[in-house]
Amino acid sequence: MPRRYPYVISSALLAVAIYFGLAVTYVDQYLHADISLGLPVAARTLIAVLSGLIGAAIYLAADDLKSPRCANRLIFTGVILMLIGTWFGLFVAPPEEFMGDVQRIMYVHVPTAWNGLLALTVAFVCAIVFLFKGDWKWDARMEASIEVGVVLAFLLCVQGAIWAKPTWGVWWDWDPRLTTTAVLLFAFLGILALRKFVDDPMKRAIWSSVATIIAYVDVPIVYFSVRWWNSLHQLQSNPNTVSKPFWIPLRANAFGILFVMVGFIMLRARIASLRLETEIAPPPLEFGEAV
Amino acid sequence: MNGVVTGGWNFVIAAYGITVAVLAIYGLTLITRLREEKRHDAESDRY
Repeated sequence: MPRRYPYVISSALLAVAIYFGLAVTYVDQYLHADISLGLPVAARTLIAVLSGLIGAAIYLAADDLKSPRCANRLIFTGVILMLIGTWFGLFVAPPEEFMGDVQRIMYVHVPTAWNGLLALTVAFVCAIVFLFKGDWKWDARMEASIEVGVVLAFLLCVQGAIWAKPTWGVWWDWDPRLTTTAVLLFAFLGILALRKFVDDPMKRAIWSSVATIIAYVDVPIVYFSVRWWNSLHQLQSNPNTVSKPFWIPLRANAFGILFVMVGFIMLRARIASLRLETEIAPPPLEFGEAV
Repeated sequence: MNGVVTGGWNFVIAAYGITVAVLAIYGLTLITRLREEKRHDAESDRY
């Protein structure tokens, strides 16, 4: 199969995600036309989410960690989508009934949460694949997705604190959702520290893969914490509980951060791969040594 | 007190500003580290 086929397929899937996730909603709300192909909201949302996730997964798995061109394109597209989402979120969407303008933080906070957990899920998958296949590319991808996941988890905590102050009256509370998110951030930060301290590439890869699988247990706990325990944090929303005018900024930023996240993982994996090549290369031959 | 949050644009600007700043700085560090790693790789190839 030619090398560009996976990129064509994943680009087509991402285009489908943008069409059903954003374009249909925009045309419906602002041009008052129906381009939904007769699909109900639930089906459109499911198609948008699945095609976005599968497209992103193919991009990551097909990347040979050699050329940054695809990563740069994804980041560029992601930035454009985030600009659109920010414009709609700050200037077009109406203020929420009870939280007023402060609710606009949701348009960056929720997409950051989704993509942060997704980046750590990518790390979890890479850890399992590395342990089974022993291919260094998956170790590089794991390191990359942990680092990007940690950046997004850090942003998530900061955005949450900024939103908590005007709505809850405090910057931080040891609420189950916030506590489990903080645990997640520090657990994966610890794995990055572990990778820094271990010099042997094989030990580093195996230990951090196992640690990633263990730390990943916290991801579903973060997600379900608002359902399992009494929490200040609100429950997860869905298209039935989010007003239609909020859909475009939320989805544009979600896809934007997804594209930027995948691009960042690809670039970061290339850095890790270049370093690994140097580390696992055989030592140079001495002058006069037989080949 | 009527249960409705009024104002708060400063919090919104802070949240968006920090998001943009963190993502931009992280992106720049990636570019810098990638260049450095490529240079290091080219040097080790030469020897």
